[in-house]
Amino acid sequence: MRITDRRFALLMMAPAAAFLAAFVLWPLIRFISNGFFEISPIAGGPRDFVGFDNFVAAFQSAAFQGASLRTIVYTLVVVVLEFTLGLGVALIFASLGARSAVFRTVFMYPLMIAPVVAGLLWRFLLIDNFGIINELLRQAGILQSTSQIGWLSDPNIALFSVALPDIWLTTSFITLVLFAGLQNVPGDIIEAAKLDGARFPTLLFRIIIPLLRPVIAVALIVRGIDAARAFDIILIQTNGGPQESTTTLSLLIYRTMTRYGDPGLASAMGTIYLIAMLVIATVAIFAIWRPGSDR
Amino acid sequence: MLSVTALALTGCGAGGGTTGASDDELTVLVEGGGLAELQPIADLYKEETGTSVKLVELPYDGLYDRIQTELGSGSVSFDIAALDAIWLSAFADGVQPLDDLFTDDVKSDLFPGLVTEAQVGGNYVGMPIFTNSEILYYRTDLFNDETNKADFEAEYGYPLAPPSTWEQYTDVAKFFTRDTDGDGQVDLYGTDVKGAVETEWLATVSQAGETTMVLDPASGEVTIDDADHLKALDFYTSLLPYAPAGAAQLDWAGSQNLFYQGKLAMMRFWGHAYTQTPDDAAVKGNIGAAPMIAGPGGIAGVPGAWYLSVPTATTKSEAAKAFIAFAYENNELSVDTSLGLVSRISAFESQAEVEGKENYPAILETLNSPATYARPATPQWQEIVNTVLTPMLQKAVEPGADNAALLKEAKAQIEAIIK
Amino acid sequence: MIGIETNRRSSRVLLWITLAVVLVIYGFPFIYLLLTSFKTPLDAIAVPASVLPSQWTLENYVAALTKDGVAPALINSVVTAVLSTVFSLVLAVPAAYAITRYRTPSGRVFVLAALVTRMVPTIAVGAPLVETMRTLGLTDTSLGLAIAHTTISLPLSIWLMSSFFESVPDELEEAAKVDGASRLGALWRVVLPVVSGGLAVTAIFAFLASWNEFLFSLLLTSVRAQTTPIVIANFQTQFGLDWGAMTALAAVYSIPVILLTLALQRHIVAGLTLGAVKG
Repeated sequence: MRITDRRFALLMMAPAAAFLAAFVLWPLIRFISNGFFEISPIAGGPRDFVGFDNFVAAFQSAAFQGASLRTIVYTLVVVVLEFTLGLGVALIFASLGARSAVFRTVFMYPLMIAPVVAGLLWRFLLIDNFGIINELLRQAGILQSTSQIGWLSDPNIALFSVALPDIWLTTSFITLVLFAGLQNVPGDIIEAAKLDGARFPTLLFRIIIPLLRPVIAVALIVRGIDAARAFDIILIQTNGGPQESTTTLSLLIYRTMTRYGDPGLASAMGTIYLIAMLVIATVAIFAIWRPGSDR
Repeated sequence: MLSVTALALTGCGAGGGTTGASDDELTVLVEGGGLAELQPIADLYKEETGTSVKLVELPYDGLYDRIQTELGSGSVSFDIAALDAIWLSAFADGVQPLDDLFTDDVKSDLFPGLVTEAQVGGNYVGMPIFTNSEILYYRTDLFNDETNKADFEAEYGYPLAPPSTWEQYTDVAKFFTRDTDGDGQVDLYGTDVKGAVETEWLATVSQAGETTMVLDPASGEVTIDDADHLKALDFYTSLLPYAPAGAAQLDWAGSQNLFYQGKLAMMRFWGHAYTQTPDDAAVKGNIGAAPMIAGPGGIAGVPGAWYLSVPTATTKSEAAKAFIAFAYENNELSVDTSLGLVSRISAFESQAEVEGKENYPAILETLNSPATYARPATPQWQEIVNTVLTPMLQKAVEPGADNAALLKEAKAQIEAIIK
Repeated sequence: MIGIETNRRSSRVLLWITLAVVLVIYGFPFIYLLLTSFKTPLDAIAVPASVLPSQWTLENYVAALTKDGVAPALINSVVTAVLSTVFSLVLAVPAAYAITRYRTPSGRVFVLAALVTRMVPTIAVGAPLVETMRTLGLTDTSLGLAIAHTTISLPLSIWLMSSFFESVPDELEEAAKVDGASRLGALWRVVLPVVSGGLAVTAIFAFLASWNEFLFSLLLTSVRAQTTPIVIANFQTQFGLDWGAMTALAAVYSIPVILLTLALQRHIVAGLTLGAVKG
């Protein structure tokens, strides 16, 4: 008996769907439902239904508004810089061909480093007067003293500083994915364009980027989502400080849940975050990738 | 959808008891320091009773999050947890009373601050296994130098010695802040000022004579903007000219680092570090220890104790309590660990004349001082520290800060947190 | 590889120089980590910081590797990451294939569901997952932790594999089907070899997601299954930071992943070249 394509597709997706339902959806439903309760942080305490109170409290909280804004800024900084750098390096690799293989591996090193270590490492690189970066800048004559730039202690720039290790860690991901995509760009199209006298910028924006669209979409959306929920790396570098200037939503949700002992409010914040991400990603996904649609 | 939600809600109570470890095994969650302290006690316990005690080491913040998650779920994978003093009130509802263990003998052998701190809501919820306190570290080579002695006395009119008051501390810090190699850059500072951690300022608050640090958890009254707090903050920041730049980001590790490199003449730091000076430290062999300095209110530190607590949800309550009693009895075993801290006054006193343990009398005197108070017992303490106290200090160590205004702002923020 | 690859000598030299500069800047933090691991404990945190050790020592490596629990943690990390990579690929490959090849409405819903999964803050599933694992009796086991890590890597794996499958022309399978191959047979024998590079890339990321994961490991493991990131973090205690030993263990912890990447690099290149030829 021959099963239909549709049923075959369902069967193929079933195991992954079942897995995600059991280990993500179910916990998630419980998390979201918590948002409607005032919950004691210790089991056995009261658990009172409060309707949308937690959501209202979240929206009214200055901490939540500030963290939302910082999350957006952080995500944009990370994604834009990573994409620019990642595409640039991927193009260099592609231009150099097979001989760049060793360097491609070298470029992947940061990916192998645990975020816990990367966070600490960058804290050591950047921290005011102990940091090697300020020391090198001083030796190079760019800074007069090592305390001139407070990478992690100046609230105005700390959010950008904590983004550096994230960019360092995962630009390789974008490069790797884009490089793989570049390998599938038909050579004859490029050759033809070159013969027509197209310059590199034209080639890049008219041919390469449009052809890479699905791959770019995956890379950007995945990184955007991940950057928005960046957590351990910020936690370790600044613990959200100075003066809350690096407290993004994921840190705020985590803190509210464990440290501040308010799982209900944390769940409400998490739910709002999730809905916002869902809307943004849905728009992005259908605008640039269109998975499963007709090509 | 409704039925799914209902299912989700009823499902919350699910989950079994302790993991299927055998009866003669106890699992204890500890931080790195607690691991070192408890290992010899656990070894002896195994030897004497046959019960093996598994010490699970977790990072400081991770330990809190792990315990919170498990207590929140109502089923636990551990039988005992080592809790930092400031966590006690947050976890009090999830742990068992240990009142039976707190006999009069026990209470009289513990620092008064610890006995108070161990009590949350009328019950003793944790047994202190070791306690720390900040003491004063100073460079013996600098203080014993004849030229320095003469110069200091000539300038300030009294002999150079480890300072015991705020005024002396300021004088000595000012005296040692200098350019030692003549390159025009200051390379030795009298002291440090820590902006990224709050405890040292809290000790200063007690030194100022404050009896209600930050807030009174019972009445909900926030005292952080009163005269004593302001006095403490003014003194704390008055030391900035004699401290290296970057105070806003300076934490414990950073400060210790500066001291070991020989950049500081004095440092207020936790007592355990005295026996842990690295061999390659520039100041190795030249470090002295003295009690914490005194303000108008007297000598004061902040007790940094760790407590053993038993979660309500464990099935091995009796075995867990038996181990805690044993740990108290054998508290002195911790003296020779890498951390070398204990909790019993008798254990501290046993080292009184021992060479290389000069930090013990310093800790003892600081913790026995009537001006020393424990931090307020409120479940929101961590939140107050993270969102109010540390940011406030970081602003206060910036040039031109208005301390009174910062404290007033902090008061409003704390009131919003404790509602 | 024709097309993007440049043939002009002058632009090649320029590109090599640019690449070298980027790589030096990019590689510096890691090199600094390695150099720090050979410094004496105090040298490692010296002020002012120096790039090179003033005195080379293996002290940190001895301290790191003889620490209680390090050896079992390394083994646990390997077991957990391998299990999680296998779970991730076995679940993701058929799902991604169905999504890209059959374009059913359910496929679109599924892609969104996988996406949502990726957006969930780790702590949101972390706490409930602790209870689920206890109910299943999987607390403090590598299997339980691997399942938890798969929740992180699976959505990414599905996405990556989808994009790789998408670049395979339908005609390839049509030809196989005309030859009488079943749909599964066509996937196994014709499509998978073409995307082997994609599989390797996906496997690397699934492996890494588990290898470096921190929060689930913290919440779900105690004595038996604790993985190395927790042990690395344990070098920083409330009473001091052993930066030298921490960097040494971090360096050691990177070696298996570097080897894995090197081993798979050939497959990646082979897969990518195949793709390019087909293009």
